Amino acid sequence: MNNMNSSNSQQQQQSSEARHDDDAVLTEFLASLMDYTPTIPDELVEHYLAKSGFQCPDVRLVRLVAVATQKFVADVATDALQQCKARPAPVVKDKRDKQQKEKRLVLTMEDLSKALSEYGVNMKHQEYFADSPSTGMDPASREE
Amino acid sequence: MSHGGGESGRLHDKAGHSGKRKSRVSGDEFARAIAKIAVAQLCETVGYQSFQQSALEKLSDVTTWYIRNMGKTAQFYANLAGRTEGNVFDVIQGMEELGLSQGFAGASDVDHCLASSGIVTEIVQYIGKAEDIPFVYSIPPFPVARERKPVQTFFHICEESPAEHIPAWLPAFPDPQTCVQLSAGNEGDAVFNADKIEPARHHLKMDMSSMNLPQHFTTCIGSEGPSSFTFGNSARATQGTESNPFLAAPLQFGEKEVSHLGPPVRLSEEEAVRYPVEQNHIMDNHMSVLETFAPAIEAMKSRFCDSEEGQKKVLLNQRPAVQFKIRVGKNSMAGAPDLSPQKIGIENISEWFGKDSENDDKKRRAEKILKQSIENPSELAQL
Repeated sequence: MNNMNSSNSQQQQQSSEARHDDDAVLTEFLASLMDYTPTIPDELVEHYLAKSGFQCPDVRLVRLVAVATQKFVADVATDALQQCKARPAPVVKDKRDKQQKEKRLVLTMEDLSKALSEYGVNMKHQEYFADSPSTGMDPASREE
Repeated sequence: MSHGGGESGRLHDKAGHSGKRKSRVSGDEFARAIAKIAVAQLCETVGYQSFQQSALEKLSDVTTWYIRNMGKTAQFYANLAGRTEGNVFDVIQGMEELGLSQGFAGASDVDHCLASSGIVTEIVQYIGKAEDIPFVYSIPPFPVARERKPVQTFFHICEESPAEHIPAWLPAFPDPQTCVQLSAGNEGDAVFNADKIEPARHHLKMDMSSMNLPQHFTTCIGSEGPSSFTFGNSARATQGTESNPFLAAPLQFGEKEVSHLGPPVRLSEEEAVRYPVEQNHIMDNHMSVLETFAPAIEAMKSRFCDSEEGQKKVLLNQRPAVQFKIRVGKNSMAGAPDLSPQKIGIENISEWFGKDSENDDKKRRAEKILKQSIENPSELAQL
């Protein structure tokens, strides 16, 4: 990373040398992608890339897209988590004893839509939309 | 952040849950399920302990949308550069475009080098930070591409094409025997098509033959009798039973070409007025029945000839038949069967009217009862 930054600054002065550096860094990065296994499986990414019309036999590019997607999802999830943590929790009063024991971090539509709106995804959620009762809080209570 | 056995067991549970909702039909259920699991794993890594099902589905949808958009923009940039296959720079450019709303280091510099793009730097940072958590399951490559069996061409069979104008690379004709057997069922119009259409398209062939029929029909439409009205209705009703020729309704005489009948001018004029309706009926019918009922048609024809002494009689015949159609629509179905054999000659008309008076009696009685009930509303209330 430091290498990259320094190469960035070098670029302004000696552009040709910096180009070579950048190329080397990029190749190295792509090679390192082969060692890294992203959580999003290659098969899934390949499938959707093929669906979108992108064709490339290079597995490293698939990995690159997978990593980029994983970063995107992780960013969104982190933002949603911040929303969840920042919100005071006066929501459930009858389950307060459970809440006091351990505040469950639940990915909710509310947080997700707020997080996604920053990423340019407008999500409208029906007010009356009833989610399945077996999700959300329930697995927590099942475990405990 | 833990990724213990219990957690993955829960994931299992959720995957099963999503599998239960298979009733919704969509193309890639499998891919979506996998995306859901992957996203759930990522959420777990971030620190979530649980999630709403709808939120997870939404996030996985957005994930797939992101992948697709990435592929689309990368392909776009590849095409822009005049290539069909994308390379790293196309992907990076695509990522930059998708990340524009967020912003990245060096985004303001239009001419920056793609190899040192801020997006790539961010990803390198992310990889250095993030744990290496592989997907829980090993999945086979999908979708499974089955090998297609190409249709045998003339060239493959090492057979000369039957005609000079058919090149050898075209798919070979099916075994002629299959076509001949099938076409034996409905000869006539369909037969000249039989050689050219493969047997799998049998139904199509039948349709084509029925499409040919109206023009063949116009030749004999002038000589058609009045009974065609009633027939049209019954034929439509029995369309479903056509597969069994013994269950189908008999054909009217007009469906076969009849040349020897010379109707009066007035009658033919009348028929011309009716013609559009007639043709509608014909279009409804499947004409493959035509051949199976050739004997019946012959019989009907001969009967018609017997009954036909003068042209005046034809006219007289016509009236009761029209009446008969109206009756069929109404309630006197029970009376119809025993009437049908008698409807030759003038004297039958009187019988028809007799029936009419009988029916009138019934009607009158019904009206009487109605009147009575109206007059005594108390009785009605009791009912």
